Amino acid sequence: MSDRLVGQRVARTDAVDKVTGKAVYTTDLTMPGMMHAVLVRSPVPHGMLRSIDVSAAESHPGVVATLVGAEIAHLEPYYGEWVLDQPPLAIGKVRFVGEPVVGIIAETERAALEAAELVELDIDPLPTLATVDEALAACETAIHPDRTSADPDLPNVCYRAQFEHGDVDAAMASAAYVHRAVYRFPGVSHYAMEPHACLAAWGPEGLEMWSGTQQPFKVRADLARIFKVPLSSVRVRVPYVGGGYGGKGQSKYEPVTAALARKAGRPVRLVVPIEDSFRTVRRHAAVIEMATAVDAGGALVARETRVLFDTGAYADKGPRVAKKGAYRATGPYGIPNFRSVGLAVYTNTIPAGAMRGFSTPQVVWAGESAIDEVAEHLGEDPVAFRLARLAQRGDPYLANDTPLDADLRAGLQMAADVVRWDTDVPAGRGRGVAVGVKDGGGGTGSSQAVVRVHADGSVEVLVGTSELGQGARTVFAELAADELRTSLAAVTVRFADTDMVPFDRGTNASRSTVAVGSAVVDAARRAREEIGAAVQVVWGNFEEVALDGATVTAGSQIGSLRTLLATARGVPETEVSAIVAHGSHDVVASDTPLGSSTLFYEVGHGAAEVTVDEETGVVAVVSYASVADVGCALNPVNVEGQDEGATMMGIGHTLFEELEYDGGEPLNTNLFDYRIPRAQDVPDDFHTLLLELADGPGPHGSKGAGEGGIIPVAPAIANAVYQATGVRIRDLPMTPERVWRALRDARSDPNEEK
Amino acid sequence: MATVRVVVNGAPVVMNVEDHELLLDVVRDRLRLTGSKRSCDLQVCGACTVLLDGLAISACTTLAAEIDGRALVTVEGLADGDTLHPVQQAFVDHGATQCGFCTPGMVMSVCALVAETPDADAQEVREYLSGTICRCTGYVKILEAAAEVLARGDDAAKRDE
Repeated sequence: MSDRLVGQRVARTDAVDKVTGKAVYTTDLTMPGMMHAVLVRSPVPHGMLRSIDVSAAESHPGVVATLVGAEIAHLEPYYGEWVLDQPPLAIGKVRFVGEPVVGIIAETERAALEAAELVELDIDPLPTLATVDEALAACETAIHPDRTSADPDLPNVCYRAQFEHGDVDAAMASAAYVHRAVYRFPGVSHYAMEPHACLAAWGPEGLEMWSGTQQPFKVRADLARIFKVPLSSVRVRVPYVGGGYGGKGQSKYEPVTAALARKAGRPVRLVVPIEDSFRTVRRHAAVIEMATAVDAGGALVARETRVLFDTGAYADKGPRVAKKGAYRATGPYGIPNFRSVGLAVYTNTIPAGAMRGFSTPQVVWAGESAIDEVAEHLGEDPVAFRLARLAQRGDPYLANDTPLDADLRAGLQMAADVVRWDTDVPAGRGRGVAVGVKDGGGGTGSSQAVVRVHADGSVEVLVGTSELGQGARTVFAELAADELRTSLAAVTVRFADTDMVPFDRGTNASRSTVAVGSAVVDAARRAREEIGAAVQVVWGNFEEVALDGATVTAGSQIGSLRTLLATARGVPETEVSAIVAHGSHDVVASDTPLGSSTLFYEVGHGAAEVTVDEETGVVAVVSYASVADVGCALNPVNVEGQDEGATMMGIGHTLFEELEYDGGEPLNTNLFDYRIPRAQDVPDDFHTLLLELADGPGPHGSKGAGEGGIIPVAPAIANAVYQATGVRIRDLPMTPERVWRALRDARSDPNEEK
Repeated sequence: MATVRVVVNGAPVVMNVEDHELLLDVVRDRLRLTGSKRSCDLQVCGACTVLLDGLAISACTTLAAEIDGRALVTVEGLADGDTLHPVQQAFVDHGATQCGFCTPGMVMSVCALVAETPDADAQEVREYLSGTICRCTGYVKILEAAAEVLARGDDAAKRDE
């Protein structure tokens, strides 16, 4: 009926709910008889649990029950992604400040908080391994003594990944120039504005779990395994989620909340204070040692990288982060000889997991800074240097890899043009660029969708995607409506509910539009074919079939869908059941470096113009251009918004965000002390450009989006700071103090006392 | 324990509140107006912003007992039936919401901005809205929505304040 919805600036289907306060999040849910839970957390970074005294807490008015780790040790309590090492409550020992040790269940949150003060923990301290350096040097202290270190030569290694091709050592030895440097990236917080929260209730049909999770089916599998119950008796439901960015992937508080509800025999809601969300998961801090070699002709011939990822006290997604970081460190330059090692190292700090970009911001920080340093050594312009060497469409990313599906040179040129790269830089300013490439989609995985077309023409889309704010429900509604030739208003996309929706691997790796979106289109197409088959039977022709509310049109014929289906099926109109169509999308294993073909490459280019105040060290981003190579913008407003948000999050880790520690004690796990970008931090001249070459595998040639923007921000700004000052910053964030010190060191006479 | 008489979104309410009860808890748990959100709990993020006698305040750090005799507007009180408040409509039109958790507070902050400084320039808008954090949008579309409401000088945008 109408013009195609995709490609138009369609308002989000959930916008009205969100601006009126009607949107319901996990933290808003209540249930009759619901109890409130509070967790008592470890005050020490590392120690053996000697005893826990909950007697005073249990006799506090309003308290229903308490729970300690020893009570759940007989289950299968440990969870994680590849390495199952994290218990819902500490069992035997504690490994970071903030680790949950005791759960308190009470009639009110206040009573639970009061009782939490009465718990006495007796912990024998163990040596604190607060940093990667300390952990790798601590041969006598293992954070996980029951696990073998993943590196034969180093202790406390959770996971080791290596990618290698060609002869790196020979290429380095014969190179005309080898650039070597060490770069550091901070551990930063997701700070999703909605803290982690769960509501659990055990009933006759099993466990019902409400959670703002990005992976409801993974959580269901974990809960079934931990509590030794069938998958069919665990139901995970995801309402609106107040921000995720990776921090709500994996099981987080679902296991402990389910255990508390089981102990209490009542529904239990756990809403952790935001300070404890800070202490739940963070981005991996990283130390990136990188060597980049060029031959006499200036060709990039080798790169060797070693990345130490601080994975904190538990594995979470750290192993996969280390693998992907090692894979991505070599960069999109077709470098023929490379060796890249990624280590996820345990420390006595907040567990690190997935966060927007998933290791790429860390390794591209190093890689794109190093490219500028190499270009500088060769006396070449940074943009021209890249344009001459970037991999081209169809080239494998690494040897024997999925071919690149993007025009990197066109994207970089777009970004450079916005900051007028070819014009003179105003005095006191500097410009910089960077290219970010990330294999998108997250590897092997299955996504399914169900489309139901009811007899009145109303349409339901059932998918397992969590609505984190990325606008997935809107784009799925648009895709289904277009495929059925019906209106957006006719389509409802259901919230994820493992009892109702088909399997999906999870809302991560920018995969939903491509993978789940393709499944939605597949299902909607099958539904339309079924309508077409009824048209064929009843009207005897099969032309372009469209829905308009309850009406079907096919060529010149118009009729009611209900009547059409009743006639075709030979049933009364009162008994016309919905058309139910299934669609699917799978990424399967393949013989590529990652073990599966890459669904799409997510590409983000950045170009910055900055000023640096030499007196204060303040870096101001005057102008910033982000180019998002999205293939096709199915919803341009939403994809711009995703990229703008990603870029501003990148400005956060570039200029001010860092979780700080004193030994094992976190110092700034609150918004007084942890600096999130604000409206004032948006560059005055700020652009998001969409590169749409319809070269992606998703509907209409789309690719995933939402992570690309964050990747190039730090190196683009650091490269601009270098051009402005002649000083190279290799540690993030570029706080005024750090920049001021670097400038002072560079400007001072080395013979003078500092 | 104190008795407070307040007008909440235009309707008079009488409640007994404990001395320690926070306005945010009363609004969310007792009045079941869950649009106002709790995030930082420190008067930094602005997710709990409500209007008290037309002024934007953080409900997370305001005692319920302090609002006796005053008029409270929460995000639920802005729309007129199905007709959105101009600030809400601008947020919809500009794509200024993503996860939506900051949105109620951000909408209330823009309402207060429009009432207090209807001739604010772009820099003043940024400064004013820097008291409300959004982690998703990068602020660009929020600033566009605010600018549109200010540019229209719509009287309706000020009607509640």
